[in-house]
Amino acid sequence: MPLLQHICQLLYDSHVGTAIRESDNAFPIIESVHVLGITLLVGTIALLDLRMLGLVLRPIPITRIARTVFPLTWSGFVVMFTSGFLLFWAEAAKNYSNPAFRVKLILLALVGINPLIFHTTIYRRVHEWEALTISPWRARAAAIASLTLWSGIIIAGRAIAYF
Amino acid sequence: MSPLPWFTALAHSGLGHLMQNSKWGFAIVETVHLLALAILGGAVLIVDLRLLGIILRRESIRVISRDLSRLLLGSLVVMILSGIALLSEEALKCYYSPAFRWKMVLLAAAGLFYFTLHRRALVNTDTGEPTRWSRAAAIVSLSLWLGVGVAGRAIGLL
Repeated sequence: MPLLQHICQLLYDSHVGTAIRESDNAFPIIESVHVLGITLLVGTIALLDLRMLGLVLRPIPITRIARTVFPLTWSGFVVMFTSGFLLFWAEAAKNYSNPAFRVKLILLALVGINPLIFHTTIYRRVHEWEALTISPWRARAAAIASLTLWSGIIIAGRAIAYF
Repeated sequence: MSPLPWFTALAHSGLGHLMQNSKWGFAIVETVHLLALAILGGAVLIVDLRLLGIILRRESIRVISRDLSRLLLGSLVVMILSGIALLSEEALKCYYSPAFRWKMVLLAAAGLFYFTLHRRALVNTDTGEPTRWSRAAAIVSLSLWLGVGVAGRAIGLL
């Protein structure tokens, strides 16, 4: 058995994993938090992306929007990661071989790389372009990548239940 | 008059048959519903946090709410249309579901509040300090929309 699969099986068989899986209410409640947490994580970062594309809040400089949404987005990330990990804990052995789950993990890795590139390149000179109605193409590309990847993560996440 | 005939008609409509007989129909429409939820939730959150005076204090509420209202209404239309398609798959189950009934009541309340008192709070506050009334409007709005979401999630569970 591959190491990752072995770890998944250990999590699945653990007390916590079994307790979440066998409880009548735990899984649906955590899942509801996970679903509604989408608004906090994806809803807020999407606003920054739409601003860089020049679609909303044009009079407000990028840095003001970024400073506003980052605490919300990060709170959303903590909520999503915690609730998501608990869901995974309960279903780890099944998730391991679930194609939708694998796609979701790959997309999550990619969506993490996107801001790394963004913040170390075009965002370093943000003060030169923060007031522009439409951001430079590299920022727009990052925005489109973010919107596409987060949509993909929601799609793949929903699909986990169907495989 | 009971709305039951409307639910029966929806279940037997072309849309209903399409949704009931397709393997991936429900999953795909549900995903669209979720994607629109992200945008709607984000827009509601930003407007109401501004109304509370927590974020973007120096920016005019008028500018923020004008742009985000369009986003909110656009995503609301997508959610209602996808919601009707989801409803058509299991219209009678929803008709008798307490969670669905709660969701419709809360949605009506959220919509009514949004177009009346909430709008007035946005216009009155604009660039000023948040008043007790604007804060209350933001809290009521956040609670109603959260209620719609929680009740909606509960339809699939109860």
